[in-house]
Amino acid sequence: MTALRNHNCNYISNVKINFKFDGKSYFAYEGDTIASALLRNNIRLVGRSFKYHRPRGIYTCGIEEPNALVQIISEHNEPNTRATIKRVYDGMVITSQNRWPSLSYDFGAINNILSPIFSAGFYYKTFMGPKGFWKNIYEPLIRRSAGLGKPPKNFRSKSIHQNHNTDILIIGAGLSGLIAARKFVNTKYKVLMIEQDSFLGGILKNSNKVDTINGLNSSEWLEETEKLLSKAQNIKILRNTLVTTYNFTNHFVALEDKFAGKKIDLNKSELTLHKIRTSNTILCNGHIERFISFRNNDLPGVMLASSFEKYIHRYGVVPEERPVIFTNNSSSMSLLNSMLSLGCKPEAYVDSRKNEEIETDIKKILKENNIPSYFEAEIEGCDGNKKIEKITIRKGKIFIKIKSSMLCVSGGYNPDIHLFTQSKGLLKWDKNIASFKPDTPFQKTLTLGSVSGNYNFNKLCDEINEKLSFLNTAKLDFEIKLNVSNKYSIKELWETKSKINSNWSKSFIDLHNDVTIKDLKQAISEGFDRIEHLKRYTTNSMGTDQGKISSINSLAVVSKLLKKEISEVGTTTYRPPYAPLSFAAIAGRSTYEFYDPQRKTSIHSWHLKNNAVFEDVGQWKRPWYFKTHDKETMHQAVQRESKMLRENSGILDGSTLGKIEIKGRDALEFMNLMYTNAFTKMKPMTSRYAMMLGEDGMIKDDGIICKLSDQHFIATTTSSGAPKVLAHMEEYLQTEWPHLQVYLNSITEQFSTFNISGPKTREIMRKVFPNIDFSNEAFPFMSFKNFDYKDTKIRIMRASFTGELGYEIYISPKYGLELWEEMFSCGREFNLIPYGTETMHLLRAEKGYIVIGQETDGTVTPIDLNYNWMIGKNKKDFIGKRSLSRPDTSREDRKQLVGLSPINKTDTIEEGQHIVELNELPKKIKNPIKYLGHVSSGYYSPNLNHSIGLAMIRGGKNLLGKKFFVTVSGKTKNIPVEVVNPVFVDPENKRLIS
Amino acid sequence: MTEITSTSGVNITQKYYHQIIIRGNGLEKFNNIIEEKTSIKPPLKNLEIKYDSNYLFGKNSFDQWSLILITKKDHQQILNLVSSINTNENMLASDYSHGQAYFEIEGENKEIFLNKLTHFDLREEKFPKSTMAQTTIARIECSIYNLGNKFVITCNKSYEDYFQKRLKDTALLSNAS
Amino acid sequence: MIIIKCPYCGERDQSEFSNGGEAHVVRPNNPESLSDKDWGEYVFFRNNPKGIFYERWVHSHGCKKWFNAVRNTSTDEILKIYKLKEKRPEITEFKNCLKSPSGEPKVGSGNFTVKK
Repeated sequence: MTALRNHNCNYISNVKINFKFDGKSYFAYEGDTIASALLRNNIRLVGRSFKYHRPRGIYTCGIEEPNALVQIISEHNEPNTRATIKRVYDGMVITSQNRWPSLSYDFGAINNILSPIFSAGFYYKTFMGPKGFWKNIYEPLIRRSAGLGKPPKNFRSKSIHQNHNTDILIIGAGLSGLIAARKFVNTKYKVLMIEQDSFLGGILKNSNKVDTINGLNSSEWLEETEKLLSKAQNIKILRNTLVTTYNFTNHFVALEDKFAGKKIDLNKSELTLHKIRTSNTILCNGHIERFISFRNNDLPGVMLASSFEKYIHRYGVVPEERPVIFTNNSSSMSLLNSMLSLGCKPEAYVDSRKNEEIETDIKKILKENNIPSYFEAEIEGCDGNKKIEKITIRKGKIFIKIKSSMLCVSGGYNPDIHLFTQSKGLLKWDKNIASFKPDTPFQKTLTLGSVSGNYNFNKLCDEINEKLSFLNTAKLDFEIKLNVSNKYSIKELWETKSKINSNWSKSFIDLHNDVTIKDLKQAISEGFDRIEHLKRYTTNSMGTDQGKISSINSLAVVSKLLKKEISEVGTTTYRPPYAPLSFAAIAGRSTYEFYDPQRKTSIHSWHLKNNAVFEDVGQWKRPWYFKTHDKETMHQAVQRESKMLRENSGILDGSTLGKIEIKGRDALEFMNLMYTNAFTKMKPMTSRYAMMLGEDGMIKDDGIICKLSDQHFIATTTSSGAPKVLAHMEEYLQTEWPHLQVYLNSITEQFSTFNISGPKTREIMRKVFPNIDFSNEAFPFMSFKNFDYKDTKIRIMRASFTGELGYEIYISPKYGLELWEEMFSCGREFNLIPYGTETMHLLRAEKGYIVIGQETDGTVTPIDLNYNWMIGKNKKDFIGKRSLSRPDTSREDRKQLVGLSPINKTDTIEEGQHIVELNELPKKIKNPIKYLGHVSSGYYSPNLNHSIGLAMIRGGKNLLGKKFFVTVSGKTKNIPVEVVNPVFVDPENKRLIS
Repeated sequence: MTEITSTSGVNITQKYYHQIIIRGNGLEKFNNIIEEKTSIKPPLKNLEIKYDSNYLFGKNSFDQWSLILITKKDHQQILNLVSSINTNENMLASDYSHGQAYFEIEGENKEIFLNKLTHFDLREEKFPKSTMAQTTIARIECSIYNLGNKFVITCNKSYEDYFQKRLKDTALLSNAS
Repeated sequence: MIIIKCPYCGERDQSEFSNGGEAHVVRPNNPESLSDKDWGEYVFFRNNPKGIFYERWVHSHGCKKWFNAVRNTSTDEILKIYKLKEKRPEITEFKNCLKSPSGEPKVGSGNFTVKK
């Protein structure tokens, strides 16, 4: 059992590097994958299986690997990495997975002996009862044993996204991909070619199937082609990039490993997620070899034949000098040739085909080299301790035992139909290749070469010329000479019969998820005869490898069991991704500081300097409250701000409020339709609090409407509602009332807006704007005026959301910060304070003003809020009007807005609590408790010195003075409250209007 | 002008321009009024832009135009222009001068750079010179103007800080290819 | 993400658009004259067929214009896009559109991938 080096391989350098696997140091050559390096070091056991913890080795040489998954410690602990793909670099640290305490002595292997209880439907049958077990026992148990590797910790990805728009996308740079690409050299088409490997060439590098192309040997032809393609301005090639997703309208997702074979630089992006949109797609993604099920077909040492050959040519390592070859098709001739040319002789050649079906070339080679050959024979099984030691061949009734440590298996080739079916193309069963191949594409998808089911490479050029003729590219003429037979032949063989029956002996159909042929049989006998059900019940092909080497086998086995045609059984649905895609790549830069775009007002820098604590409102960063010193809590700050404002004056950065300019001949009619209020009699240069409903009569948004004239309005909206309100207005203008001549512009960003209010506000305003008359007569409540300010204009409106005397100032952001600072320098002597959104919410609750999204939740009408005065009843129509008289909306017992005051003034009314009739809840609730409503806002009022609440209570309008109870979080004892008028402060509006 | 970032084949600067958004029906009378007020014939074709060293005038859609004034002006002048357009009943002009941020992207790799932040198809045949588009870049709504040798991108001023950071971050992480 | 062709801006990624539900549902001219039932029909009830569907879209992150589209809801193909002022295309125009890519099995998941 020794690996040899193939010195003829040019793709591996002679530079030796070192890496660690499970704590031990090993060598590798630059260019090695983890798998090829381990094979070089004669390491065959690399992991433990998912369910039974059986010893597993390297089964393949690519993306299809079901066994050799490892954890890369030196790359932020990346788990479940395919050893057959991931390239080694100097200093790499790797561990095996799913074993304890060590890979060779794994305690979990006991599962293998207990395997009868882990049979098909194990999860569904075992974790059923008794009640309460799920939460306390089963779930924690499953969570502990689920998965293979351990997740990475504290890792901040710098993955980026790259979008492409292209004419032609070629997936796969193997022989057919390269020929196709050569047809596009220096044409008008923009071409993107994607290759999952770091090299171009496919079978030209992985095997010696191709002898010459137009007289050039394959490496010369490859060199010529690469040169040609790299010079072409219109062709871009991405290497180390795997296409994972084929979406509708020719949209693709592909993942590029930027540090393949290199140590990751944490300051750079290690992955690029390519998002590709193309006009035409050319799939050249080739084929994947499948295995054959036999007894212990999972032992370390079993490997797919073409993978064995790929290790020889692509990585320059012959994993074993004298393996046994087991095949049912003509392709293994290539492996024979490769081995013999290196002076290695297989221990035996086992072919399930009949003597007369086997190509004479193969028979000749076997004979000339004196290789023990068994035709019309099969492998019964293999045995050994954590590796193959003995292989049993069955020929007729005779069993032959052979000693060898490796077994190369070929069950035939499957076109790699995954992407084609993701694109919703239809497949067809082809008897000649005993596999599914693409039939009818659903999108503009072409398949070339072996993915199309054409394994006869000498005819490849004709196929490509024909299929690409519609693009009017030049005809190419390549004469491809092969080292193997020109015609592919295969005899169906999915499983072989076992003569030994024991718990240890298993014939696997899915290596990744430890599904056996026995499991399939059992599931079918239990009635799971539809393939989609069967898959889920047995977890067949549900591993991270998606059953790439085995799913067709399972369909075939199932079809035999059901006595149906395989095309009748069908396939399961192929869904993206083709291979695992890390969340870090999908998220790209949209994490941490870029998780959501942030909007900042022109005053933001001042807020930062003045210790604002921010709150997210939509995408806006708004000051929540300002800290006067480090130890001040939010409660203390809000209480201070609220008290100071009602005593002196406070100012809020309201720049985030949405503003919409509305203008046109029919602006008045439009506004009358959009809002509940009547605007016809409203005087120009006055403003009004207005409400916008949906057609269902429920409140959508509120705001202040300024009327400049019947043709010109400015509407303000809530901060987070601004885009919705503009879209709502545009929708009705465009779709329902195109006859109305009205135009809308969002002017949210064109003004910095300050809301100043409090008893000393008038004095401050006089000092800031000495030329403006702020007297109540000249500047009454709900009026606005424009003034010159430097080289711009400001608009000042008398309005308030706190219940105190207040003004809103609108100024160009150019002067926003300057004016804000000026107001503070003038306001200092009046104790002007900045306040945040939390204080705003508290003050408006004291005044009984509602907040959209807090008192309202999409089920509240203006009538429910006692805002009947806002409804223009005489208007013929407005959006939502008709719904207000629907029986459900006009019910008397709807939840209505009231105020709550605690009877015991030291009690706290919590937001979101229920209102009930019981003073105490039972310890165990057996019958539903009668629910009257909920607390929509709850604050401690520093101005009343007790807690207050706004609540939505059933039939609340008629319950003034009634006593109810409010629940308390985590307690059964409720607090008694009295239903009161929701306006706690200045109900006569004296402060507001004088 | 502020240098934002530069990486191989890409140069990004921030500019400070004035802008007016004009809404109207685009009929002859409308075009005449615009020409009279601004001394520029508005672009007639949807998505077309007209530009010289003083202005950039784009037709955003069949009833919307954006006029970007490149040379520095008094804000009062802009406001006067806005209110003089607004004297016409069926036109709406809004001043966007200080509510927008402007970025210019130049260099041979500007397309591949921008395509790290947007799906928008920047190929010449889909987005020809002297046209504009409204799309999303770095997940925010932007307008992009193709002046041939450079792209001008505008977005809401409130995103300025975020957008600058995204541009710098993308440049920093754009290692090879 | 599918491609949608905005009639004003051209082909764009689906992420720039928002769907506005069934098209050609006209807001009643005189809502007050409608019975509660008829008004309820207008506000709350929409069709949701499998197959050809006339629906509204808006280029919400682009020009913000509304338009109509005919979409095959079982394949996600957009068969026609037309402006609001244009006439509603006849359903007979789309008789030859692609059937569901999976074919329509009589039983099962509807995800069959193999041609019979």
